[in-house]
Amino acid sequence: MGMTSPVPSDRPTPLPPPGATRPADALAASPVILRADKLDKIYRMGDSELPVLRKLDLEIRQGEFLAIEGRSGSGKSTLLHLLGALDAPDGGSVIHNGRDIGKMSSSARSRLRNIEFGFVFQFYHLLPELNVLENTLLGPMIELSVLGFRRRKRELRERAQTLLKSLEMDHRLKHRPWQLSGGERQRVAIARALMNQPKILFADEPTGNLDARTGRTIMESIERLHRDHGQTVVMVTHDRTLARQADRALILRDGRLADPAV
Amino acid sequence: MYKLKLIFRYLLKRRIAWVSLAAVTLCTTMVLVVISVMGGWLRMFRASFHGLSGDVIVSAAHPTGFPYYGEMIDQIEKLPGVAPDGAVPIIRYFGLINIGDLKGMPVEVLGYPADKIAAVNQFSRSLFLQYQSLIERADDPESDLTAEQRDALRSEAAEHARRPSFSLLANVDYETAFRLHYPKANPALAKGARNWPGMVAGIGVLNIHKNETGKFVNRHEGLYRLPITLTVLPLGTERGVDLSSKSQRNYWIVDDSRTGVWQSDSRSVYVPFEQLQKDLLMAPQKWTDSDGNPIETPARTSEINIKVLPGHALDEVRDGVNRIVERVYLEHHVMAYAPPDVATWEETQRVWLGAIEKETVLVTVLFGIISLVAIFLIFCIFYMIVVEKTRDIGIIKSVGATSLGVAGIFLGYGLAIGIVGAGVGGGVGWLVVHYINELHAWLGRAMGVQIWNPEVYQFDSIPNTMEPRQVAIILAIAVISSVAGALVPALRAARLHPVEALRWE
Repeated sequence: MGMTSPVPSDRPTPLPPPGATRPADALAASPVILRADKLDKIYRMGDSELPVLRKLDLEIRQGEFLAIEGRSGSGKSTLLHLLGALDAPDGGSVIHNGRDIGKMSSSARSRLRNIEFGFVFQFYHLLPELNVLENTLLGPMIELSVLGFRRRKRELRERAQTLLKSLEMDHRLKHRPWQLSGGERQRVAIARALMNQPKILFADEPTGNLDARTGRTIMESIERLHRDHGQTVVMVTHDRTLARQADRALILRDGRLADPAV
Repeated sequence: MYKLKLIFRYLLKRRIAWVSLAAVTLCTTMVLVVISVMGGWLRMFRASFHGLSGDVIVSAAHPTGFPYYGEMIDQIEKLPGVAPDGAVPIIRYFGLINIGDLKGMPVEVLGYPADKIAAVNQFSRSLFLQYQSLIERADDPESDLTAEQRDALRSEAAEHARRPSFSLLANVDYETAFRLHYPKANPALAKGARNWPGMVAGIGVLNIHKNETGKFVNRHEGLYRLPITLTVLPLGTERGVDLSSKSQRNYWIVDDSRTGVWQSDSRSVYVPFEQLQKDLLMAPQKWTDSDGNPIETPARTSEINIKVLPGHALDEVRDGVNRIVERVYLEHHVMAYAPPDVATWEETQRVWLGAIEKETVLVTVLFGIISLVAIFLIFCIFYMIVVEKTRDIGIIKSVGATSLGVAGIFLGYGLAIGIVGAGVGGGVGWLVVHYINELHAWLGRAMGVQIWNPEVYQFDSIPNTMEPRQVAIILAIAVISSVAGALVPALRAARLHPVEALRWE
């Protein structure tokens, strides 16, 4: 699958030029862009409590491809939701660019999800009323006013089409999600997540609902994105093989992260 | 931007929401039609009842009428605010008519002075031959009349509107008509028939009415060759009706009147004032009392109708007239237990107008309550949509939509349904109201259904006009109601936790 460069936008990007590689020492020197401090998350069902995360610490560096591995129900998705400002911890904090996400207003967290973070889910989560192009443009549509969107419509459409072309979805622009295969839907979901050039791409079992071959192509897309454009990726998976494709892999066990080799 | 896009898509794609749309449309149409018809009914009532009388009315408290009305009229016409020649005596009484040998019925008999009546009411414009038929012909687009001929017809109608007539028709041979109706009568009587006075009868008296297609039937040439005998009980003394004698007079029908008020059109006949006054013994009379002293009884009338110039307060004129009536009675030492009553036209019709106003409010409130069902329906449907769209709400929030933005989608959706529903409902309502008489006629033809009974509603046509202010208020309420129905579901959508929404099964 070939991948072309996304169209540059006016938003400053820390990404290195396409084709650049990042040696391990260079990665270690990269700044921490997201940090979890002593995260606690407890699910309550009536009187019983189920602690999922216990005093979990994590640092994510710019340009890093981090895989978090774990069994089903280990709390991987919960961790991803906390890191991605979709959920709030019961204890500890998530710091992004020096700011505690938990102390941000609801609208500031929404803006963070819109501008700084991108999400790819296991079940794609495309809006059935919108076609491929419109689903891809959802981020800018949420970000901009009607007039603002109309002013930048051509530029945004071109960017969306370029992204979709890089994911080999440019021939399906007017198709609705129900007219696409699982792999195609996931590629549209990736395009949507990348549309606003997020600093961090969160991928929650991105291949979990796909057959092995399609899963591989999706992983190739994510890897290429990281390798060629320096995209920071945080992926959770139960599949150790997939986790090994990342720069760094951690395992979530008993509510804490550990090195899988240990 | 996403809100507009999703609202538009939901509006087109979510067919369940079309039920809300239909509910808003139906309720808007229903309320518009009801309020327009009821409001129009009230307006017609006011206009028609006002058209039957002057602005201020002096009414006798007793059928025998009141005297010295001439002096009163002279003084009333000098009051500020009273139109020139704007005080007119009218006799209102009851009688029995026999139309040829065909039909007998009790009627209200109105004695109108033909030369003055146009100054105070719309009687002259209610006449078919003298006014309405001329205007109809002048305005008939299918007629091959020239513009000059049309103008001539309008001028003739305007002249009759200023001065209606009880004169016999020039094109009718009344001797022949008499012989036709009374073939065995003495021929000498036929010659006398040419001198009978003319009478105008309400269309209902002559059985002229609208058929199920909405067209008037039973109006034919023979109608204006009909002899009518009017029997009244004279009001010879101020003590009351003289039950020991009766007065009978023959008339010819010279025109028919359609005031639009069925109550009036179905039981009123109009005759020259002087003729009726004479037959009721209300004209001036000279007689002697038991001691042989000559006594002169002044002429009497039942009412004085007064036309008030625009811009003058009716109450002020009424009070002025009241003072005149009291003064004249005082000057003539008239001892009256019940002097004539002076009231504005609205006060005389207060019972009717008040009842209709209350009925209008009642029906509006009832239909307003029914419209609450539409709000509840919207609430239920939107709630269903929010539940159905829970995961989509999670998706939108995960891509950065705020809670306010998500609420905006559903409020905007409600607004869109309100605007479209109110717009379509407004259009359908306008069509129904505008063509309500045609619709009613069609119902009559197709199913034999007559919903609007003129005897009940007083008018032979259903009101078909809309008040722009009322329409604007109803449409605004429809839109607000739709948004209100969507409010709670929108708040629920806004409060959904993105992770819980994404995990929704």
